[in-house]
Order: sequence, then structure tokens, then C-alpha cells
Amino acid sequence: MSLAKEFTKGLWEIVPPFRLVLGLCPTLAVTTSAENGMGMGLATTFVLVCSNLLVSLLRKVIPSKVRIAAYVVIIASFVVIVELMMQAYVFPLYQALGIFIPLIVVNCIILGRAEAFAGKNSPLPSIADGLGVGIGYTISLTVLGAFREILGNGTIWSHGLFWDGFEPFTFMVRAPGAFVALGCFLAMINLVSAKLDDRKRRAQS
Amino acid sequence: MLVVLTVICAVSGFSLALVHDVTREPIEYSRLKFVKEPAVKAVLSGYQNDPIKDRLVIPVGTDKKGKPVKLIVFPAKKDGKTFAVAFESAAGGYHGDIGVMVGVDINSKKLSGISIVSHTETPGLGARIIEPNFTDSFKGKSLDKDLGVSDISALSGATFSTKGVVTAVNKARATLDKYRDKMVQ
Repeated sequence: MSLAKEFTKGLWEIVPPFRLVLGLCPTLAVTTSAENGMGMGLATTFVLVCSNLLVSLLRKVIPSKVRIAAYVVIIASFVVIVELMMQAYVFPLYQALGIFIPLIVVNCIILGRAEAFAGKNSPLPSIADGLGVGIGYTISLTVLGAFREILGNGTIWSHGLFWDGFEPFTFMVRAPGAFVALGCFLAMINLVSAKLDDRKRRAQS
Repeated sequence: MLVVLTVICAVSGFSLALVHDVTREPIEYSRLKFVKEPAVKAVLSGYQNDPIKDRLVIPVGTDKKGKPVKLIVFPAKKDGKTFAVAFESAAGGYHGDIGVMVGVDINSKKLSGISIVSHTETPGLGARIIEPNFTDSFKGKSLDKDLGVSDISALSGATFSTKGVVTAVNKARATLDKYRDKMVQ
């Protein structure tokens, strides 16, 4: 099992919101702009990498009966650290993401990776796994946020994109728009991966 | 089992306390920076310093529960000298307290501006206190004596709200007289 493979699988094979379809709550809620999506993704990545590392280091110490409780304590601690740091240094982002920062604790991706991967593997692959999945998640949220921001607000990274008379499609930055955007992306990704699978099968036969 | 969980929780608690301690100061700063600075900027001008960073905290007695009340003063400095200060004052309007950021020139005791920080007045009536038409009429008024409603352009149909703001400014006058020496250091 190579480190590179652990890293890259998070970018395509199991990219969280589209393949695992996990962590959807923040995916739908905070991707109103590319910036928010990226901030959320980076915060999640930090928690994911740190918790993966710690869980993997402690995997032989933690008795399996109380492992979930131990994982939750570890994850919650890192989430509080992220929350305090964001409040101190990037306050506007903290205000924009609001309740979804503390809610990283209950993000299934993080507990899922701790349980499925870090609890069974040594530290280095666990970090690679956390980084891969985290970056995959960040890219997904940023792209989704950019898509919604361009259509719904006519801007990207808060820079105006269109001519003066452009009427933004505000539906896209509202909650229903999140579902529509996510659906479109899921369909696209499924289409691409079906094509790829098809090609692979044909190459084998 | 018990030992491991206890140790993990203890380490977690300890490290969180540490992070909390380290970030307390920057968090307070950025809270003031993003929540209060727009109001401070509206009432002070021509300063060269960062009023949020140079803020002074003055203890002003205790509240009903015996907790100390602190007044945060934002000084505006030019060439290292305080020439104006901004601080918050509050008084009851038609519905709940109206928070007013008051900017005063220290030497002439004239208002350099006011800005409504928080209020719960009636939309369309009392809520017009936030409009520049109203707040700008306080500019340049002297705080040598208490202001009256006739000194400013009162809002018709919103007497209580207007009086609330005027009372808050007059309270600020009292505060200024009492703590002037502490505000200018």
C-alpha cells in the first residue's frame, strides 16, 4: 500500500460529498460562495488530518469498547481549536460559517475515516488518507461554491464577473439551489465515472 | 479502559485551556474590530492610530448583581495625542434600549458624530433613528450642557425614540465629565 495511493484515492475514488455522499450538511449549507466553501473545507481538512494522526497513534492504546467515545473526544478537541483560531484570526469567515464550524464534530467523514482507516493503519498512511480526503472535500466544496456563486450572485471570489445588466439567478444561493447544484454535480461525476469504467472494461476484454 | 478515556479527556481539556488562553486576546480584538469598528469609524475622523488596538477599559461601578461594569473607550490620536474619544452609551427608547456610539472632541467638547449601534425600535417609525438625516444633526453640537429635543432635527412620529437617543447622548456627557481624565492619558 503506497502513500501516494492513500492520498489520491481521496481525490477521486472516495471524494466525500460525491462518492461517499457523506458530510452533506455543510456541503449544502455553506457553499453559497467559493470562499466559504474553501474555508469550510480547510477547517475540516485540519481536523481530519489531526484526528487521523492521533487516532492512529493511539490505536493500540484505546480499548475497542470505548473507541468511539475516545474518537469523539479527540475530534471535538480539534474542532474547538479550529473554532477559537478562526475567531481570533479570520473573524469574517467565522461569522459566515457560523454554527457549521462547531458542527464539524458530527461530520460523518471525520468519524468515518477514524473508524474505517486511522484505527487500523499506522500514522503515515493515516495522514496521507486524511490529507487526501480533506483536500478532495475542500476542492468539492470550492467548486460547488464557485458554481453557485457565479450563477446566484454573478461573482467569483467576490469579484464581479458579468456585465452591469446581468440579473443573478438568486435561487442558486438559496437552500433549494444547493440541492439542484449538488444533484447536477453528482450526475456529472457518475456519468464520467461510468464512461471511465466502460473504457477500462473494454481495454481488458 | 477507564484510565485511557480519563487520560484522553484530561489531555484534551488541558490543551483546550491552553489554546483558549492564547487566543483570548486576539479574539477580543477581532470581535471589537468587526463589530464595533464600523460605528467607531462613523463617529471619529482624522485619526492616525488604530482606536480598537488603543482602546481603554475603564471600570465604572457595578451592576445589580455586583459584577463590575466596564466602559470601553476608543481614543482617536494624532501625533500620539488623543484629540477625540468614542464610547458607547445607552438609554431606553420606545421599545428597549438604544445603544449609541458617541464620538466627542476632547478639547472643544463638541460631538464629532453619533452612530446607532443597536436598537429594537419600530421599523419605519422609530427605526429611522439610524438614518444619516437624524444622526448627522448631532454633529458639532456642544456637550457643555444637556441637549434637548429642539437642538436636533427630531423625527416626527417617533418622539420616544428621538428622546431615547438624546438621553443616551446626555448620559455620555455625564460619563465624559466624570471620566475625562482617565480617557485622555
